[in-house]
Amino acid sequence: MFEVGKRWKRVLLQIVVTVMVLPYLFPVIVMLQGSLAGQGFGNYKAVAEVPGFARFFLNSAIISASVVALVYLCALLASYGFAKLRLFGREVYFWMLLACLTLPEVVLLAPLFTTDQKLGLYNTYWAVILPLAALQVPFAVLLTRNFIAGLPEELFEAIRVDGAGAVRTFKHLVLPLTRPIAAAVIIFTLIAAWNDYLMPLVFEQAKTMQTITLVPTFFVGQFNDNQTDILAAAVITAIPEVVAYLGLQRLFERGLTAGAIK
Amino acid sequence: MATVRQGFGGSPGDAPLSSVLPHPYRPRGVLARQRRGTVKLASGLPWILPALVLCVGLIYYCIGYTGLISTWKWDGISPNPQHVGFGNYSQLFHDPLFWGAVRHTVIFFAVTFTVQTFLGLTFAVLLHSRIRLAVVYKVIVFIPVVLAPAIMAPVFQAMLAPGGQFNTLLRYVGLGTLAQPWIGQTSTALPALMAITVWQFTGFTFVLYYAAMSQIDQSVLEAARLDGAGNLRVITSIVWPSVAGTTFALATLSVIGALKTFDIPWLVTQAGPYYATNFFGTYIYQEIIQLDNVGYGAALSIVLLVIAVAFGVVLQMWRRRKAL
Repeated sequence: MFEVGKRWKRVLLQIVVTVMVLPYLFPVIVMLQGSLAGQGFGNYKAVAEVPGFARFFLNSAIISASVVALVYLCALLASYGFAKLRLFGREVYFWMLLACLTLPEVVLLAPLFTTDQKLGLYNTYWAVILPLAALQVPFAVLLTRNFIAGLPEELFEAIRVDGAGAVRTFKHLVLPLTRPIAAAVIIFTLIAAWNDYLMPLVFEQAKTMQTITLVPTFFVGQFNDNQTDILAAAVITAIPEVVAYLGLQRLFERGLTAGAIK
Repeated sequence: MATVRQGFGGSPGDAPLSSVLPHPYRPRGVLARQRRGTVKLASGLPWILPALVLCVGLIYYCIGYTGLISTWKWDGISPNPQHVGFGNYSQLFHDPLFWGAVRHTVIFFAVTFTVQTFLGLTFAVLLHSRIRLAVVYKVIVFIPVVLAPAIMAPVFQAMLAPGGQFNTLLRYVGLGTLAQPWIGQTSTALPALMAITVWQFTGFTFVLYYAAMSQIDQSVLEAARLDGAGNLRVITSIVWPSVAGTTFALATLSVIGALKTFDIPWLVTQAGPYYATNFFGTYIYQEIIQLDNVGYGAALSIVLLVIAVAFGVVLQMWRRRKAL
């Protein structure tokens, strides 16, 4: 975008970007440095040995995986129905879904709170999985519907002419061709589910059911504001996210570009 | 709201259409077509049903139930709640905490959106220029997006404390007079939270702008340069209008984000001091979960929902008019 001919200007540009990026690095440096105060890496060991620490990760993994699977399945099936099949009242259904896009999750608090108690869902994975998935489905449908609608109609005609019904079309045409957008759906949903704080805070009160976003609160209680250990816990909980991002970085960008909101 | 770039993400490339079809279903010419005939297009209803049941079922049920509860005075447990009609709503309009939350949300949106747009755009433009190690900068700016706000909250608490690293840094660079308890006083608590939010989401803004800018036609840029347009002129006259759709989508997401704000104010400042960082999210949480004013919390939720949907509709209409 920026055309810079002269060498010193190019160096200047490089310096500008470097200075601009520093504030983004600062909190991460604070976190790492604070977590290593005193016993260095021993802090991490101490934190990891607190009973029940691994359980937070397991719970987060179970909840995120279920939400991703549920959202992926619902969104893909629905998008195919919306984009390529015969549907009376198509736009009505679609707008019913889209209206949910603007919904702040805190609005669900009162009814879910009472309903979960009645149905005995309190402190189960479902209490978090179902509302999280419900909140993510509309955006996922929006992305995949547009993508499927953009696939050439000839493909669908060809397979139909060959005698394939909707189920076979879905299996052999929609599933393989939607892989690029599936990456976007999975990544958006994964970030939302893994990072969610409010739902587990309210609906997973039992110690054995809590997720990693509740770890800092747990350690504040555990260590009486021992900052070093709290920061060490924060680092350990952040590591899987950073590793996942670095590993999937290209997929991230492909997904975001495929789903480029224009 | 979103348009998806069409195509196969590069996998089949320019191969003939038939070759991307899985083997057993490749069209086998006119003969095959005549032999088999066409299957009637199936109904889409069963396909959209799971999503509808999950989403519309759960969410609309919850909204309806919230609407009902909002007419009660209720602690969430007692079997016979007291029916108060619109009492909760009239109470709400005289509630200074409610108006405080409205004010904070508006300021929060205006500032974070403006700053994020500016920074995201600047990063996208700079990293589209000839910069070495662009990937490193991209990763640094984007990592905050994947870190959970709930996990970063204690870090920011430590960093912005009176004896925290931020004040140390200020003293180190000779700005010690500016050192203050950033999250401990009403005057700076909200700006501090806005700074944290900008830190968190610039990466998202940046990546979307970056993707949108990759799609600008290079020949248009070259033509502008040949006509003598400088860097600034190219950005204001070509780049900025070309990414207007992205800006609009980001504005929508920022409005929703501001209305949803909960994690950061709750964990970093506990909505304080003296409610200086109270938002809808924290207020509703306090009323429903901590104070057992479930009826009042439900009324707040309904008002929040109305505001959110109203904004959604207004933005959508604005977008249509500008034909983005």
